[in-house]
Amino acid sequence: MIKIVGSFIIAGLLFTAPGFTSPQRPYSSTYDTTRSVKLQGVVTRIDWVNPTAFVFVDVRDAAGAVSNWAVEIGSPIELERDGWKRSGLQIGDAINVDGVAARGGVRQASAKSIVLTKTSKRVFGPAAARRAAAPPSPAPRWPDGKIRLGPPAGKTGYWGAASTKVLVENTATKIPMTEDGLLQNITDADKVAPLLPWAKALYQHRQRTFLASDPYSRCVPAGGPREFQTPNGFQFVEQKELGRILILLGGGDRNWRVIYTDGRPVGSAAEAVPSYYGTSVGHWEKDTLVVESVGYNEKFWLTSGGLPHTEALHLTERFTRTDLKNLKYEVTVDDPRTYTRPWSGGWTIQWVPDQDVQEYFCEDNSDFIR
Amino acid sequence: MRKFIISLAILLIAATALAQEGHPLTGTWSGDWGATATQRNHLTLVLSWDGKNVTGTINPGPDAVQLGSVFLDVTNWTVRIEADGKDQAGKVVHISAEGKIEDLSSAHRKLAGTWSQGSSKGDFRLVRD
Repeated sequence: MIKIVGSFIIAGLLFTAPGFTSPQRPYSSTYDTTRSVKLQGVVTRIDWVNPTAFVFVDVRDAAGAVSNWAVEIGSPIELERDGWKRSGLQIGDAINVDGVAARGGVRQASAKSIVLTKTSKRVFGPAAARRAAAPPSPAPRWPDGKIRLGPPAGKTGYWGAASTKVLVENTATKIPMTEDGLLQNITDADKVAPLLPWAKALYQHRQRTFLASDPYSRCVPAGGPREFQTPNGFQFVEQKELGRILILLGGGDRNWRVIYTDGRPVGSAAEAVPSYYGTSVGHWEKDTLVVESVGYNEKFWLTSGGLPHTEALHLTERFTRTDLKNLKYEVTVDDPRTYTRPWSGGWTIQWVPDQDVQEYFCEDNSDFIR
Repeated sequence: MRKFIISLAILLIAATALAQEGHPLTGTWSGDWGATATQRNHLTLVLSWDGKNVTGTINPGPDAVQLGSVFLDVTNWTVRIEADGKDQAGKVVHISAEGKIEDLSSAHRKLAGTWSQGSSKGDFRLVRD
């Protein structure tokens, strides 16, 4: 009953190391989407934790040897949002897993679906199509008429998933790439952003190595625009009396960023203490919060696909809450040491009503730290 | 043994977390050069990228030598350095070096190759701090 099924039997024997890689590693560097895997076995452990839930399964191969596989099933937050529950699966359940195999010699898979062997009942599956959107409600406002970036008065909620996890120049035609920014054709690098030669070569090096050296996968904060593309979303806390707006970041390590709105100048990058989120000042242009930031360090990738930057980076971000549930994010990247000219990109972000940002620590799931 | 492995893993994580992800030459590089494996001279190279040129200094301090030119070939990550220093008699000594960046993604990437200083020739090995 407990066995590896289908064409994966032989391939499965090649895996020798127990599976587990960092859940924050780019999907493309962790999984080989060209290799599917079908497993049949018994659940030995369920890690229902952020950032990524895992199910561990004892699988017996054709020779009778048992090996334990780590099966990634996704973010518990998103799973629960789609109606899946932790109680859908119990230790000891016999299950069939249809998934994508991990790269390298590890016994790990990303589940596309999990069904109970006995009843064929599906206990996890692809994210359900979102319900049809309700008619848009207007963006909430403060008594002085200014847009509220956070929840409406007396309500809860936060900003969740971005419409994309990559950043490319607005003028770019559709560039084939994976969700985490791995180009299908590496010669498309020129279309992503106007890179200087050294930056293009470094970007392509990161692409050729499947984004494996992404600092974010080592729990380094995702600075710059990428902070709004991490799992778990973020929240604005507008402290008008203090002349600042806090952004509480749910992804990475629950960091926060300060945007000063008290009229102070942004200063120069040369004078700032280099940091992941930079030194930010903001002002309102009608219903749009415009934020200028300098003072970034060079310890993070600007985007999930591996675009580089230097300490000369200057970002101009524009946040426009077009209605209750949608936030338009636009960013202009100006770094003359990395790019031939300033360039812009952006995406939209969805409001998650009636919920709070959940606890999320990058180090969770990392077995060697326990 | 388990504690040792855990400590080692944490140290490795800490080391990689300090990576510099910008221009690959930017930063302070430390190591040595010499004609043989036993005859080595301490070498510190400080490099920075201004958007058009890589500039820098050999052995910052009283005996510092400003780099005359630094050329980076990004097709193979090779580096060529030219500079003019002075010996103790005040005579100009030309320095040239050619090397290759290794382990490009590492915080402690390496730069190694051949080093020529006046009539002396040898190799150099540098690690980014």
